[in-house]
Amino acid sequence: MQRLLSARRLLLLLLLAAPGLCGAREYLQVFVTSPYLELHTGPGRGYPVFNVVERDGSVDVLAHYTEWFKVRTERDVVGWVSERDMLHTALADGSAFTFERGDRAGFSSHHFETGMFAGAYGGATLISAYSSFSFNSQLALEVSVGQFLGNASNGVVGDIGLAHVFLPEWRWSPFVTLGTGVVHTEPKATLVQPLNRTEQTAYVGGGVRYYLTRRFFLRAEYRNHIVFTKLNSNEEVEEWKLGFAFFY
Amino acid sequence: METGIRVLLLSALVALSGCASIHHLFHRHDAQPASDAATTDKDADAQPPRVIDPQIERRKIKVPKIKSQNVELGLQFGSLSIENFGTNPVYGVTAAYHISEDFFFQGAYGRSTAGRTSFETLSNIQLITPSERHFTYYDLSLGYNFLPGEVFLGSKVAMTSAFYLLAGIGSTDFAGDSKFTVNFGGGYRVLPTDRIALHIGVEDHVFQSDLLGVDKLTNNLEATIGASVFF
Repeated sequence: MQRLLSARRLLLLLLLAAPGLCGAREYLQVFVTSPYLELHTGPGRGYPVFNVVERDGSVDVLAHYTEWFKVRTERDVVGWVSERDMLHTALADGSAFTFERGDRAGFSSHHFETGMFAGAYGGATLISAYSSFSFNSQLALEVSVGQFLGNASNGVVGDIGLAHVFLPEWRWSPFVTLGTGVVHTEPKATLVQPLNRTEQTAYVGGGVRYYLTRRFFLRAEYRNHIVFTKLNSNEEVEEWKLGFAFFY
Repeated sequence: METGIRVLLLSALVALSGCASIHHLFHRHDAQPASDAATTDKDADAQPPRVIDPQIERRKIKVPKIKSQNVELGLQFGSLSIENFGTNPVYGVTAAYHISEDFFFQGAYGRSTAGRTSFETLSNIQLITPSERHFTYYDLSLGYNFLPGEVFLGSKVAMTSAFYLLAGIGSTDFAGDSKFTVNFGGGYRVLPTDRIALHIGVEDHVFQSDLLGVDKLTNNLEATIGASVFF
């Protein structure tokens, strides 16, 4: 009887150690802490619920697409779970399963931003896009490129600089920017000086961000560029732009 | 006799227990620390000397990274009707980032070559040079998914699908000039697997042109089919 007991104990120990011995899992396993977890047929709020996983059951997280997680249950059923429902799951060590969501907290503190603008650059129409990397909630390194299309000239601009955000936790958060760049101008052929030129610039500016919803925000910005021309005096160019951006 | 001995023993027992309880009553507080000390000494003696100090750390769980599939890269091919210059093949690339289940950002780049206007065909005069006939555009758009659904093939296969609307701004290089261009359109996307999507789309590229003497808005309609992969 004693021997039988110790054999059982050994088997139990082996079973417990098995996941560790087999190496790391390929997918993250999370355990359901709410009464049940609903699986939808597709990654959207309209897709019907076709399966549920009960409390303490587990699912493997296969992929993340926008606000949805693709999961596989212990019974090999694959479905989609919303981010909101996934908040009620826990990791194997009992800690809550957390992930970055598109919300106000994410707006205040995030790593990357990307956006696009329409605006004016020295009187010409501007199409512009930017990406930024945030060192912390206030300071970010920004790179922007744009193309301006005017009656007198067309051209491209590229800037790199720093942006400092005041009150990042506010829905309206103002910021200032400072940086340098280049501008390539192609005067229209009908003008007297049809020489293309590339010049260095420096800019100072400011603007405001407005949090819309999820990962979206609006961004309005003004920049004053000093173009270091080969002429006697430097040129000043004003840039106004308004656009959408998102953080991730 | 027997009863007498019993009474004697009983009274002795009662007296002893009374003494013990009184002793306990008076000496409880004094005796406590002494007895505690004695116990700890005993415990220390009872434990074997430590040879190895066990340093058990909690096993760190390595959390596998979850693959995100928000970036979509695609190729498209179709027909572009360049106003006054006929309909010609167009091919392009797209890159999209899906922000939510409803919205996505998309950048697109496409190329086509314009044909001849009816004036050129009739008069045999070239309005623009062959190199100026290259029609190149790029745009940055915001897309909105609507009417999401599923497409069923038989009883075993179900594919998610959605219609989408797109609107954006960009630039078009044509006839030796770059023009600010507004684009808008829509499409239908179906996903045979979660990573691959097939598209059918129609888009209009609108820009101001004075190529034929009059400054006017030109509409350049494009119909494409495409395939894309989610990363």
